[in-house]
Amino acid sequence: MIGGAFGVTLANARTGDDAAFACIFRDVQPALLRYLRVITAEPEDVAGETWVHVVTGLRRFRGGEQDFRAWLFTIARNRAADAGRSRHRRPVVPLDMTEAAQQVTAPDAADQALEAVSTQVAMDLIKSLPREQAEIIMLRVVAGLDTSDVARIVGKTPGAVRVAAHRGLRRLAGQVTQTGVTL
Amino acid sequence: MHDEMSGFFPGRPGGEHDEPLLDMILERRPIPPGAPPEIHGLALMLAAVAGPAEPGELAGQAAAQAVFTRLASRPGTSHAALRSARRSLSERPARGRLPLAAALAVAAAGLGSTAAAYIGVLPSSIQHLANLTIGAPPPPHDVSPRTLTVTSSPLPSHHGPGDTGKGSRHPAGSSNPASDKNRPGAWPTHGSQGHGAAPALASCLPAQAQDHGRAVSQVPARPSPAPNQNKPGAVQSAAGSGPSQNRASPGSVPSIWPIPSMSATTVCPGGTIPAQETHAPRR
Repeated sequence: MIGGAFGVTLANARTGDDAAFACIFRDVQPALLRYLRVITAEPEDVAGETWVHVVTGLRRFRGGEQDFRAWLFTIARNRAADAGRSRHRRPVVPLDMTEAAQQVTAPDAADQALEAVSTQVAMDLIKSLPREQAEIIMLRVVAGLDTSDVARIVGKTPGAVRVAAHRGLRRLAGQVTQTGVTL
Repeated sequence: MHDEMSGFFPGRPGGEHDEPLLDMILERRPIPPGAPPEIHGLALMLAAVAGPAEPGELAGQAAAQAVFTRLASRPGTSHAALRSARRSLSERPARGRLPLAAALAVAAAGLGSTAAAYIGVLPSSIQHLANLTIGAPPPPHDVSPRTLTVTSSPLPSHHGPGDTGKGSRHPAGSSNPASDKNRPGAWPTHGSQGHGAAPALASCLPAQAQDHGRAVSQVPARPSPAPNQNKPGAVQSAAGSGPSQNRASPGSVPSIWPIPSMSATTVCPGGTIPAQETHAPRR
């Protein structure tokens, strides 16, 4: 998160300041890419389309950093849906539970401290969740959006979002507990 | 569902006691030291997911920067997309109007011929045929159609004694000689005698009783209240000259199809942010 400087950064980006736009890009792109890896099979392509739409709509955008992130992730979700429809994307097949567990319970992985657990392994665990729970957790934790923003993006009530997030977190913790990995 | 609840914090069925801790994880707040280790592990794992960029994740920055440099300097970057959307939306109705335009042209040609027959400006043989088929006035025997229309003659021969038989057979053609005296042609007389087509044609062909050839040339110069109210004009122009109908057709496209592209355009380029994507800025 850029924080208090976001307003100035965004204003500069609107005027065509490359450095300001680069600052925004570097701040959001990792979370955007990780979120798209959960919901689409072509995360890089969809991320590129998302940025094109963000750039074209940047002059019309009004709001703070939280609003900007909510807007950007809404665009990303819509573009992912478009990509899925246009390319007849294969249905998302969740990772095999045993495969994910093996990745976590491998001897070297079990010996690792949690800090050493790669982002990819954690992503695989999240992707093993039901799609809705995984997406909501990514929007809440990775994108840093609040419940009301996530509810608007996914088209659910804030209560339903909260319940889904809790269920997803419990399931994640259950996987770790069942595999005997001490995180 | 039950497995989800019981799998987390064993001994706490229902799981509602863990909700504050789960909310802390979701809000990325620090977890209290006394929380179960599962909570700590979960928080650390999610922190790894939300961590800083890994190698390769910023690989698209150059491309995004290039797009930004190219598009950000131009206000309203989606003119081409909007033009394309407009074009695609306007082509559809244009294709659908082609049969209608052809039908209008055919109908206008028929109406024009009928009007000319009632006015009595057709050549004698054709006028005679019209007289027999649709009750148009019989062709004059002593004057040419052009003389009949140009000069406001009372047409004595038209209603002469020799025409009595025809008049009885076609009462509308000769039952009102007074109108023939007032008007150069027989047009108003037929209208007053109940020929259904006459009143309608009278409103759109007022000048054709003067001179058929000149009336045709005057059609484009007649004032029209609005280009879109072109049905009468289309009828006349189609009856007189086909190309004018084709000219009128493209001109009426914008008003007949008021380009709903802005509303149909559900894609963003062009600064048009889809409604679902603008919820955040509107707050």
